[in-house]
Amino acid sequence: MDKILAKKDFPEWLKKLKAYRVYAPRKQDDVWNYEPVSGPDNVQLADVMTAVPAKKIVFPQREYFFEFRETDDNGTKLTELLPEDNPVVVFGVRPCEGKAVTLTDKVFSGEFEDPYYWKRRNATTLVGLACVNPPSPNCFCTSVNGSPHSKEGLDILLTDLGETFYAEALTKKGEKLIHEGQKLFKDPKPEDKKKAEKIQVEAEKKVRRKLNRIENVPLKLKGMFDSPLWDEESMSCIRCGICTYLCPTCHCFDMNDEVETTTPLQGKRVRTWDTCQFPDFTMHSSGHNPRPEKSSRLRQRINHKFQYFVEIWQNYQCTGCGRCISLCPVGIDIIKVVEKVRDYGS
Amino acid sequence: MGHNVYLPKLARIVEIKEEVSGVRPIKTFRTNFLDGDGFLYRCGQCAMLSVFGRGEVMISISSSPLVKDYLQFSVLKMGRVTSALHDMEVGGVLGIRGPYGNSFPLDEWKGKNIIFAGGGIGLAPMWGLVHMTLGNKKDYGDLTLIYGSRTSKDIVFKEELEELKKRMPVHLSIDVPEPGWSEFVGFVAQNVLDKKLSPHNAIAITCGPPIMIKTVIKALKDLKFEDEQIYTTVENKMKCGIGKCGRCNIGRHYVCKDGPVYSWAELKKLPQEY
Amino acid sequence: MVNIEDLKSEARRVLKGGKVKYIIGYERASETWKANPIFLRTPEAVDKLVWDPTCFHNLVRFVVDEKRRKAKEKQPDTRPVGIVAKGCDSRAIIVLLQEKFIERMDVYIIGVSCESTGVIDERKLAKKTAGKTVRKVEFGEKQNYIVTTEDGTMDIPAAEIMADRCLECIANIPVVSDHLLGDKTKRAVARPFQSVEKLESLSQEDKWKFWTDQMKKCIRCYACRSACPMCYCDECVVDTINFAVTADTTAEEKAQRIKWLEKSPVDSENIFYHLVRAIHLAGRCIDCGECERACPVNIPLRMLNKKMEKEAKELFGYDVGFDADQPALISCFRDGDPEDFIR
Repeated sequence: MDKILAKKDFPEWLKKLKAYRVYAPRKQDDVWNYEPVSGPDNVQLADVMTAVPAKKIVFPQREYFFEFRETDDNGTKLTELLPEDNPVVVFGVRPCEGKAVTLTDKVFSGEFEDPYYWKRRNATTLVGLACVNPPSPNCFCTSVNGSPHSKEGLDILLTDLGETFYAEALTKKGEKLIHEGQKLFKDPKPEDKKKAEKIQVEAEKKVRRKLNRIENVPLKLKGMFDSPLWDEESMSCIRCGICTYLCPTCHCFDMNDEVETTTPLQGKRVRTWDTCQFPDFTMHSSGHNPRPEKSSRLRQRINHKFQYFVEIWQNYQCTGCGRCISLCPVGIDIIKVVEKVRDYGS
Repeated sequence: MGHNVYLPKLARIVEIKEEVSGVRPIKTFRTNFLDGDGFLYRCGQCAMLSVFGRGEVMISISSSPLVKDYLQFSVLKMGRVTSALHDMEVGGVLGIRGPYGNSFPLDEWKGKNIIFAGGGIGLAPMWGLVHMTLGNKKDYGDLTLIYGSRTSKDIVFKEELEELKKRMPVHLSIDVPEPGWSEFVGFVAQNVLDKKLSPHNAIAITCGPPIMIKTVIKALKDLKFEDEQIYTTVENKMKCGIGKCGRCNIGRHYVCKDGPVYSWAELKKLPQEY
Repeated sequence: MVNIEDLKSEARRVLKGGKVKYIIGYERASETWKANPIFLRTPEAVDKLVWDPTCFHNLVRFVVDEKRRKAKEKQPDTRPVGIVAKGCDSRAIIVLLQEKFIERMDVYIIGVSCESTGVIDERKLAKKTAGKTVRKVEFGEKQNYIVTTEDGTMDIPAAEIMADRCLECIANIPVVSDHLLGDKTKRAVARPFQSVEKLESLSQEDKWKFWTDQMKKCIRCYACRSACPMCYCDECVVDTINFAVTADTTAEEKAQRIKWLEKSPVDSENIFYHLVRAIHLAGRCIDCGECERACPVNIPLRMLNKKMEKEAKELFGYDVGFDADQPALISCFRDGDPEDFIR
């Protein structure tokens, strides 16, 4: 279902979404992030890259699993703490983030379906904004099977036509959201569609960075486990969590019991993000650590994204948002590292 | 949406046996689920035990699936959660999630001679298997157990091993000589060589500390066992147990879900990062 | 002005002579306008060296790495590592020497003077260039920067985009070096604690609100700690396990390790983390500003540490990182020390 929405009517649409908790990019202290919207006039949709990706809406950095409580009879009572299913809508989602959500979808599905993730995911409508200009100088979505107007994972894709948005409803959830706007949405003229397509094609050409010829990288990586490349490339790594915490596809997490009172024992089991880049991530309680060096941790990050994930899910675990490049304090560049893998020994 | 995969089932500790005391103590816990149900599991599988307020730990199930009265876990006191577990008493309530992981391919082993080579707490992951194969003895050839510990005080399942000797060959060893010890002195790998085990129609399973596994595999190779005839179990740091939290992987394999049982032929193909 | 050719020739000289294991310096990759750390092992690699206003990083962080690496080597290469050090970086070396974390012979210091201009603040520059792609930033002749963008060049007065820490820098010339490059004129700074003064003028309630709002943003990636050359503890309160574990560590010892804070990015834990860090850096922070620069959500962490630096200055007349022979502030006591804060 394709529609047209005048930009001046955008706040009106927001006003009609009373049943939803609305998120959109907001700038604070020079940093963009998806934040709850305070009022319909406070949303500006633009080509910006938030620091924290939209994954935080469906996979928050911290969430409760259940509460445990010691009972009078020396027993224990568990109370499941599933998230509420109030509907959420996120505006301004970048197409690379929508695609990333399709990857976390895979991880949290299957034999052991993750009820916390899916409760949030099913309640969330993702309204994507096609990139007219690349929101980051390090965007490289077109190199990892994505595009500035990819529809994957999104419920609606908006394309900025200047005075109007070209709105494509991609799922039932997306259609519902457009129905909430009722008559604000008009049927597009054929030239609107042409214009949207033209903008989308132009946008692809503006993506500055490329990671070409990587089809053989998954296979190549298999033979490079013991390569000195990992030492060289990780020399400047400072072992922080930026590249992974802020990656829209990274899903690793930790689970801990947070104790509130000890007599009687009461507390919550909590999930938080975790990262393969922290040395304690894989350390056994014996002190043995399969990945003791930062070289082995960089190797894990690259291998996971460009080999293991591909083997399991037939997809790179990278959608080319460029955050890990832009935000790395020492400029470790995933494009460069993968290129070096590609060209290694040739 | 079905059962919440992160929500443990509650179980009560019905029996605790102190297997080994000292600085590296081992205790065996027998548990019953509060709701009376159990879960179906296969030899080699593990379960996530919760000590509420402390956290979770992945422990292999050391009872055989033939036993219906309880689930059994034999635990070496090692870190935060296992220490808290060791502090628990009979009547205490644990959380249990599982069973997780793959299992020993018992169907493929029918008609074969089976050799168990364990060290220390490494007997626990094989213990259910020993009893399972013994319980269905007609399905298998000769069963042989080789087990070693640092000293005679560190032997787990001591009385059961004595009982076992009446039903199958059991070769024990300790690392250094002790007065009154009449069996083999030396490492498990040396005992394996000493017993001149035949690879003919055989499967060898080895569990124990990493260095022991390495040396036993080398010994088995010296005895002309093929990679496909050698099995082991792998352990790694785990949190979720269901292949999502991302820390126990060896290459594309999540040990919690795709392991812990590997043939040496399979394990050799994976990155050597465990 | 530091002549890059002088820097290269000195680097080549020490590498050729086998005097150093490697040199930690700055390079600039073709895709980016920003400098990155580089580790030079051969005289040929020296051509990659750059020196420009984007050489923000405090490379002393990697001297800490080197010490760890060396500790694991069976036959350690005991030669020093070469390091390109700015004034602030050299002060970090002084602190590591004072604390006996490294020995003077562990480093060969190629000092670079920041003269009248320091490094830039990326976020200040982003405002100036307003979305234009930056290609290059260079030092100008007269307290200015020459910024090349896709649209041409811009001449920007240094004060407008210089990093705050450089505006308040008290050591534009390296304090310690084996070979010093550039002008040796010391720059006078009228108000070294200007940024803190602004915050000090707020009421207690407003201060608390300011910091709690800032701490809410923290995602606990620990980039601030990880970028800091002074955060070299083997075991940090934020780590979930004890890195000093050996095969002999008993389960009891491990179990009894206090869990100081949870991984959850909630107010109490975030504030606890940052305050612990600030306290541990009191009298040690040399204001290289790396914590703040590394922060992906722009928490003004430098202000916390600057405040501690100001306290050290006002209470004890102590300037951090100037004298390797002086005892460290926290580990010494003098009769004249004020005691009115311990009541």
